[in-house]
Amino acid sequence: MKKWAKNNVGFFFIIPWLIGFLVFKLYPFGSSLIYSFTDFHLFKGISTTGIMNYLDVFQKPKNLEALKLTFKYAFMTVPLKLVISLFIAYILNFKLKGVNFFRTAYYIPSILGGSVAISVLWRALFKDDGLIQQMIRMLGGNPPSFMTDPNWALFIICLLRVWQFGSTMVIFLAALKNVPEDLYEAASIDGARKWKQFFSITVPLITPVIFYNLITQLVQAFQEFNGPFIITNGGPRGKTTLMSILIYNAAFKSYDMGLASAMAWVLFIILVFFTAISFWSQKHWVYYADED
Amino acid sequence: MMMKKLMSLGLASLMVLSLAGGSMVGAEEADYEECTIKFSWWGGDSRHEATQKAVAAFMEKYPGINVEVNFGAWSDWESARALEFQSGTASDVNQINLSWINEFDYNGDVFLDLNEVSDIIDLSQWDQTNLDMMKDVNGGQAGIPVSMTGRIFYWDKTTFEEAGIEVPTSLAELREAGHTFQEVLGDDYYPLALGEFDRTIFMTFYLQAKYGKAIISDGALNFTEEELLDGLTFIQSLEEDHVIPSIVTIDGDAAASLDQNPKFINGQYAGILEWDSAPMKYKNALAEGRELVVGEEFTDLGENGSTGVFTKVSLGLAISATSQHPKEAAMLIQYLLNDEEGAAILASERGIPESKAAYAVVEAAGGIEPMIGEAHSKVMAASEYAEDPIFESNDLKGSEGVYRDVFSGICYGDYDLEYGAELLFDGITDACEG
Repeated sequence: MKKWAKNNVGFFFIIPWLIGFLVFKLYPFGSSLIYSFTDFHLFKGISTTGIMNYLDVFQKPKNLEALKLTFKYAFMTVPLKLVISLFIAYILNFKLKGVNFFRTAYYIPSILGGSVAISVLWRALFKDDGLIQQMIRMLGGNPPSFMTDPNWALFIICLLRVWQFGSTMVIFLAALKNVPEDLYEAASIDGARKWKQFFSITVPLITPVIFYNLITQLVQAFQEFNGPFIITNGGPRGKTTLMSILIYNAAFKSYDMGLASAMAWVLFIILVFFTAISFWSQKHWVYYADED
Repeated sequence: MMMKKLMSLGLASLMVLSLAGGSMVGAEEADYEECTIKFSWWGGDSRHEATQKAVAAFMEKYPGINVEVNFGAWSDWESARALEFQSGTASDVNQINLSWINEFDYNGDVFLDLNEVSDIIDLSQWDQTNLDMMKDVNGGQAGIPVSMTGRIFYWDKTTFEEAGIEVPTSLAELREAGHTFQEVLGDDYYPLALGEFDRTIFMTFYLQAKYGKAIISDGALNFTEEELLDGLTFIQSLEEDHVIPSIVTIDGDAAASLDQNPKFINGQYAGILEWDSAPMKYKNALAEGRELVVGEEFTDLGENGSTGVFTKVSLGLAISATSQHPKEAAMLIQYLLNDEEGAAILASERGIPESKAAYAVVEAAGGIEPMIGEAHSKVMAASEYAEDPIFESNDLKGSEGVYRDVFSGICYGDYDLEYGAELLFDGITDACEG
């Protein structure tokens, strides 16, 4: 009995998490799949079942547009964010004066997240006659209307996400610190320049971390909600309405839980697909030291 | 011995009485149970302060009833309450919108029929016509209208003075003001600013005044596609006459709301069409030295002096059908809406009270904000129609609703007026058909 208790005491400790997981994750996960095949309305209940919600997702122009925008958003922000955070991490890995201050300063935007303060800041920067427009005019340019031009509106939403590169930067920084110094020394002796060292030593050795950041950022980008919700609320004319906003509106504005569930499942399948592709591709470009 | 017996009898009686009462407490008006009830409402800071004060006074008057309060801003309030109503966890007493009865109470089982507690709530203080507006599908009294409201113009008098003209009292003067503003003050100055829903309301005033019928009544759209096209053309003509800025211009301002828009604050947008109960936030938002005044309802929209103005229940109070303490919840409503003390504390924080008793108290105490009072009396005098709840249904008014889509679609050049009218007609018809 004692031995049994000793072997299973771990389960006791994870009971709170387990309950939370079952109630708030697994149950909604399973029930949303069922609801996605119904016309479940929060107040009217269920009257029909079938695949009509999935047909809606792929047939209604509004839903297709949101899907397209979500892809566009993800494929713009993820590479940009990875490149910029790696670049900044690389610079902050040098022994510079006041480097700790810069590391903190660059990390701060990440912890601000999608807050009201950020939405006020972003609007003040990009509104008509805002700071950015004024600066462009001072330089003699003719600025676009960032908030009402569909392409620019999406761009400023992407910019917010890219600006918040602190967490990926910190992970890159940790990885860069683990690259053995002697490799750089040997390369220097052989006459390799900094950029050659970066692409031939640094990048290959941190590919597991690049892969990790790629997966997490991809998942986050496809699920992005806060940025477009607080800054443009999906506008202008739905041109920043990503799938997550559409799901939210369907569920909590129109109370159409069936459609919202179907959209969430489509998004989930897209994420599974890209994650699977990424995992499949890693054998071609990710270097694990223990594999040799 | 006799004395002892009498004392024992007295003590025993006292014990029996207290036991029989259990947690019952005697009060002047009624016996009630010691309990905790919840009360939720949305609003601004001044409403929160007044309501909390009224709730505290209620608890003092009825010791043993503990009222837990839940209040906040409107943003996402509706969604959160919707989930509570659906899951049966809503507060006992709820501040509700008229449209909630249609949207959340399909079977008439979400809100308690207040006729069941009419021995506590004095329903005779309300006009039956207004009470009828808050009935559910089964004819039950789902809520009580706290106040009635309608839209009216408010003008930044200072900007009009800068332009050298009086504030407009008619459509003709408004159109003239548009040209004057452009010539005297510049392209960035407009006498009126209207968002998508504001446009819908002004268009409705115009259509109702011109054609002499309500846009929606008895759950049916009363206008043809051609008539709606006339309405859209009217709104578009205001843009062309430099009366209102385009939606694109307002979107470019990137302000969360008009009262937070620097162009309104500084007088570049010199007019709004707002609820009679809501001018204070605009008045307080204006830059120092600027004056907001109540305008007039226009009588030249149609041809016979009609205003086309409609009114609606601004908000109501309701008791959840799941409440374990409907009697005590009803006592709270009675206190807030009819009691001399409660009504005096709340004053006009939820608009001009519809309860005759509350109105008498608030008016006598001078508790009606003069600007709200002026706007309300003008709206009620001009009102010709009652708003059908479908007019503000989520499918039409919501963030992805038809009104927003049509008016912004026209402004952004995605739709022409004909297609806009078709969308509007189809959208309202669909909403009417449920």
